[in-house]
Amino acid sequence: MRPVARSAIATGLVLLVSQSGVAAETDQGAQLAATCASCHRLDGGGTGIPSIIGLGEERLTNALLAYRASESSNHIMHVIALSLSDEEIASVARYVAKQGSNPR
Amino acid sequence: MKSWTRREFGRLTGAALLTALNQPKARGQAKARVVVVGGGIGGATVAKYLASSATAVDVTLVEPRQSYTTCFFSNLYLAGRRPFESLGHGYEALARQYGITVIHESAAAIHPAAKTVALNNGSKLSYDRLVVAPGIAFRDRALEGYDDAAMEIMPHAWNAGQQTRLLRQQLESMEDGGLFVLVAPPNPFRCPPAPYERASLVASYFQRRKPKAKILILDAKDSFNAQDLFQDAWNRHYPGMIEWLPAQFTGGVTAIDAKTRSMITAGGTFKAAVANVIPAQMAGRLAQQAGLANRSGWCPVDPVTFESALQPGVHLVGDAIIGGDMPKSAFCANSQAKACAFAIAADLTGSARFPAHLFNTCYTYLAPDDAFSNAISFKPVDGKLKSVISFVSKVEESSEVRRQAARAAEGWYDAFTHDVFG
Ligand SMILES: Cc1cc2nc3c(=O)[nH]c(=O)nc-3n(C[C@H](O)[C@H](O)[C@H](O)COP(=O)(O)OP(=O)(O)OC[C@H]3O[C@@H](n4cnc5c(N)ncnc54)[C@H](O)[C@@H]3O)c2cc1C
Repeated sequence: MRPVARSAIATGLVLLVSQSGVAAETDQGAQLAATCASCHRLDGGGTGIPSIIGLGEERLTNALLAYRASESSNHIMHVIALSLSDEEIASVARYVAKQGSNPR
Repeated sequence: MKSWTRREFGRLTGAALLTALNQPKARGQAKARVVVVGGGIGGATVAKYLASSATAVDVTLVEPRQSYTTCFFSNLYLAGRRPFESLGHGYEALARQYGITVIHESAAAIHPAAKTVALNNGSKLSYDRLVVAPGIAFRDRALEGYDDAAMEIMPHAWNAGQQTRLLRQQLESMEDGGLFVLVAPPNPFRCPPAPYERASLVASYFQRRKPKAKILILDAKDSFNAQDLFQDAWNRHYPGMIEWLPAQFTGGVTAIDAKTRSMITAGGTFKAAVANVIPAQMAGRLAQQAGLANRSGWCPVDPVTFESALQPGVHLVGDAIIGGDMPKSAFCANSQAKACAFAIAADLTGSARFPAHLFNTCYTYLAPDDAFSNAISFKPVDGKLKSVISFVSKVEESSEVRRQAARAAEGWYDAFTHDVFG
C-alpha cells in the first residue's frame, strides 16, 4: 500500500490539473460554439436551419465527422467541419450537448 | 448615492460621465475597460462576446442609432417581400442581458496616446482597449455631382435605413415601362454579390407589378461575384429585363446629374426613371480621421488579434479592415468580431488562447424562392487572411435545392441577428 500522504498529494495534483483542464476545455468548446451560433440558435429556437440543441454529444460528434468526410449532404457544413481537428470536434460537441433547450 | 439605470447613464454628459466611468467597483477592484465604437454587426458582436466571456471586463458600446437596420435582407424589402420593421434591431438585450453600457452618441475623435474617445456630446471615455467598427464611407469625389443632395434623389441604399425606404418609394411610384439604373461600385466594396442580388429581387418585383420595366446595371468592373449564377438566373426568371454593361463598354460612370437623373459615362449618358447609385467605398470616416486607415482607404490589422497595424491598443473589425481574402460581409464581420473579442479577453484576463476559426457563409437571392449559398474558411498566413476551402452553389442545381436554400436563409437571418443583438 502507498503512503497516505503521498497519495493525497498525488490526488490533489491530478485534481488541480484536471480542473484547469476542464476550464480550458470549456473555453475552447464555448469559443468554437460561437461559430455555430452564427447560424444555429443555441437556445433551441428558430426554424429553417436545423437545431443542434438536444442532440447529445455522440450524435453531434458523428454528424460533424460525417460532414467533414463528405461534401454531398451540405457544402456549408463540409467547409466548417473541414476546418476542425478531431479534438476540436470533440470539444465543441461536448459543449453544445450541454446547452439547455428553452425555446422562446 | 444614486444608482443609475442604463438609460440615465446613457444621458450623462461631460465630466459627470468620465467620473462615473472611472468610479472604482464596489469591492475596489478596477475592471479593465473596453470601449467599442460602432454598434453595427462587427461592433455589437465584439461587445456581446467580450461581455459574456470575460466577466472581469467592463464593456461600453458607442452607437448613435437606437435601432440598427440590417443591409442584409434589405433587398427583399425593396422587392416588397419583407416589412421594413423586420430589418430593425435594438440594443436592449445587449444592455440588459450582458451588462453592456450602451451610449447612443457618435464618437467624434480618438486619442490613442491618452487612450480616450471623445463623443459628439462633449464627453470623453477612457479605455484600456478600444474596438472601432465604423463600417464604410463613400469616397470623396468618386462620382462628380453625387453629393448629399443628389443622394436624396438617387439613393445609394448601401447603409440601410432612410435611404432604403426612399429607394423603395421610388420603385413603387415608378411607371410601368420605366428604366431602373443601378450603378455598381469598383472593388473592394461592401458585400460583393449584393448589387446583383438587388437587381434580381427588383426584377422579381417588376415582373409582378411593372412587367414592361427594364433594369440597366452600369458597372465599374468587367466581371462580378458569382456572375454565372446570376446570369443563368436572369435568363431563367426575367428574360430580357436585366441588362449588364461592364466598364469595358462604357468606361464606367464618372459623373451624375441629379436634376435629370442621368449617369454620365465616356460611352454615353443614361437617363433613369429611378436610379440607385452605389459609389466607391472606403473605411468609415472615424477610421480615416483617427489615422487607422492607410493610403488604400482601408485599415490594416493583425489577422489574429485584429489590432490595428497603425495604432497599438486599437482593434478593428468588419467592413473597415483590409480583410485579405475575407469579403466585406456581415458574416465575416461577426466571425472577425468573435476572434477579436477572445483575443482581447485573453490579453486582459489571461484566459486561454485557441486558434481562431474564421468563416464566411452567404445566402444570396436570385428570386424570392431561388437562393444560392457559399461557404469559405479562412486562416491567417504570413500576416494575411487567406481563404483555405471554398464552396459555392452550382448553376445546374435543382429548383428544390434552391428553394431549400431560400428557406434556410430565413432561418439564418433569425439566428444571426439573435447572435449579434439577442
Ligand atoms: C444590400 C446589401 C445586402 C447585404 N447582404 C448581406 C448578406 O446577405 N450577408 C452578409 O453577410 N452581408 C451582407 N451585407 C453586408 C453587411 O451589411 C456588412 O458587411 C456589415 O454590415 C458590416 O458590418 P460593420 O460592423 O463593419 O458595419 P455596419 O454594420 O455598417 O456598422 C457600422 C456602425 O458604426 C456606426 N458608426 C459609424 N461611425 C460612427 C461613429 N463615429 N461613432 C459611433 N458609431 C459610428 C454606424 O452607425 C453603424 O451602426 C449586405 C450589404 C448590403 C448593402
